[in-house]
Amino acid sequence: MRESIIMKIHYGTALAAVALVAVHVLMRLTQGFAESLEYQNVIANYKFLPYAGMLEIILILLSIHGFNGLRVILLELKQGRAYEKAVSYGCVAAMIGLIAYGSRTILMVNMGMI
Amino acid sequence: MEHQDENKAGIGGMINPRRYGIERVAYLLMRLSGLGLLAYFIGHIYETSSILKGEVGWSEFLELTQTTEGHAILAIVIAMCVFHTVNGIRVMLGHGGVGVGKPARPDYPYEPASQNARHKMGIYSAIVLAAVAMLYGLAVMFGE
Repeated sequence: MRESIIMKIHYGTALAAVALVAVHVLMRLTQGFAESLEYQNVIANYKFLPYAGMLEIILILLSIHGFNGLRVILLELKQGRAYEKAVSYGCVAAMIGLIAYGSRTILMVNMGMI
Repeated sequence: MEHQDENKAGIGGMINPRRYGIERVAYLLMRLSGLGLLAYFIGHIYETSSILKGEVGWSEFLELTQTTEGHAILAIVIAMCVFHTVNGIRVMLGHGGVGVGKPARPDYPYEPASQNARHKMGIYSAIVLAAVAMLYGLAVMFGE
């Protein structure tokens, strides 16, 4: 994929994540901070489908943005065909792994599998 | 002939914030905050997965984070998040050609049009807003 397209994705994911993370943080402040983190409250958050969907979208957006950012930093540091391939594929693998791990939590709690 | 990297200064050159003004400091802070936020994000995903262990597992993990050190780390995360967001928007606008001035013939003393007062204000604003958000976060977390 061309770097110009990757940077557009990088900026797009950033802007979308800012809006959604703001909602995520505001949800913590609608109740008291400590109260919002109580077990029953957190379970209720996960079981509320629109909110769970938003968490999943945040997870995907931030994983793409975060690991692409890491890739950019590592490519600024050193260049070379093999190194660049290793960094790019490594970041994509880590991104998929994190999305899978986070999605597992969201799905299992949302479906009441705990 | 032995291969030599073009980037001879390596990490030391990358993290050196001197010689190029506030823009270089912003470049360094952007990368440090990005790496810090990625580390926090991975930790946050792991932390929230403890809910799968039930109420006891969740409470145990929450106790680890609901400490003075945990709150201090979260305050730093808030500051990193705000700086990264505000400076990121500045960078995006700059890449889009907003606030970087018009193309002109480079004349002595060769001051780059893009490194102008508007963008410097953006960087200082990002730092100030990050500090304010961190203080607000501390007030919320320690105020309870």
